[in-house]
Amino acid sequence: MTRRVIVALMVLSLIPASAFAQAGSAVPRGPDGKPDLTGVWQGGSTLRGSWDDANSGFGVGGSGKNPDAPPVVGSNERPAGREGAPYQEWAAKKVLESFNKRAIDDPTALCLPPGVPRSVMLGLFPQKIVQTPKEIVVLYEYMHTFRMIPLNAKHPDDVLASYMGDSVGHWEGDTLVVDVIGFNDKTWLAGTGTFHSEALHITERYTRVDRDRINYEVTMDDPKVFTKPWAVTSSLMLREGTRVQEYVCAENNLDPANFEKLLKAGAQISR
Amino acid sequence: MTRWISCACGLIAMTWITAGPAVAHHSFGAEYDVNKPVTITGVVTEIDWRSPHTFFFVDVTGTDGKVANWKFEGYPPTVLNRLGWKKDQTMKPGDRITVTGWRARDGSNWAHSREITLTDGRKLMFGPPAGTGDGGSAPAVDVR
Repeated sequence: MTRRVIVALMVLSLIPASAFAQAGSAVPRGPDGKPDLTGVWQGGSTLRGSWDDANSGFGVGGSGKNPDAPPVVGSNERPAGREGAPYQEWAAKKVLESFNKRAIDDPTALCLPPGVPRSVMLGLFPQKIVQTPKEIVVLYEYMHTFRMIPLNAKHPDDVLASYMGDSVGHWEGDTLVVDVIGFNDKTWLAGTGTFHSEALHITERYTRVDRDRINYEVTMDDPKVFTKPWAVTSSLMLREGTRVQEYVCAENNLDPANFEKLLKAGAQISR
Repeated sequence: MTRWISCACGLIAMTWITAGPAVAHHSFGAEYDVNKPVTITGVVTEIDWRSPHTFFFVDVTGTDGKVANWKFEGYPPTVLNRLGWKKDQTMKPGDRITVTGWRARDGSNWAHSREITLTDGRKLMFGPPAGTGDGGSAPAVDVR
């Protein structure tokens, strides 16, 4: 008997802690029966637990308590295994130029809003989803931006081109589907230099698969720069106890001036 | 053991499945040189907790007895807060610290910080790893 207990404990010790978190972690639902996405979330992560749990050791940017841990791939970097973005040949050259210039032309270096889906997939800063039966609001700490997503609504007839676009949502079963149009051409999508035109049309699918995780699937369509729609998948992980705080990028942004100064001084920045 | 396996699984998953977190709002490689790592010990003179990046300054005494003031860049206040930093408490002017990082491309007394060893021996991250925000190892498009 004792031996059986010891064997059982040994087997249990081999199961990752995350497996226990998954078991019995029912999706919270609102009065309308739809999954409730309300909460503070971290993009681009697959780890369960608090912000501390998930970001110590090899967490955000490789930071945390283990300096030897490998850095997490950034949303302006191309993760291993991802298919190349389907840019038209002329546009792919432009993307490559930004990469070779080490992202010196990143719009966020000017403190401009990161746009969609970049804002959603960021991991260094949390985002807060507030869900009501008629509207979902997302508050992003990074660049202090927000999105309002009215449900079962139409885009206005007079949408002005903007950084974060105009969003409307609806439920397809347990998946929130968000249609986003009305973008300007001043943001990057998911990687260095991934520019787009004002014709960009984004479809996002948010599926809360369990208490801790939302699967995020995004399709970017822009016939002016792509050969076909570009689909990327990521995830949002619940970070209970984390606060979304104020981030005012323009407060003391010295980087553009530094870039200029270093280039004038002849620094070899290009790859 | 459990923790190790959990970490290893998470690491593999993060490497292969996700489009992971973006870690800075500007290019490391544009301003700093990954081939110029630096470790210095000195006395903190000032900490400027501001976005988009916090700066701190350290007086370093050279072998000739001369004191040079170094500038280090790091994460914004909210990120430092989540990493365990408390403004005006964790590190104060007058504290003797050791900081690792990478020097600016212009060769001045200016660097990008990574890890700080505090007066009491605790180690905390103050900035992201080298290469952050400058595009990674491969472009987003397949090079033809």
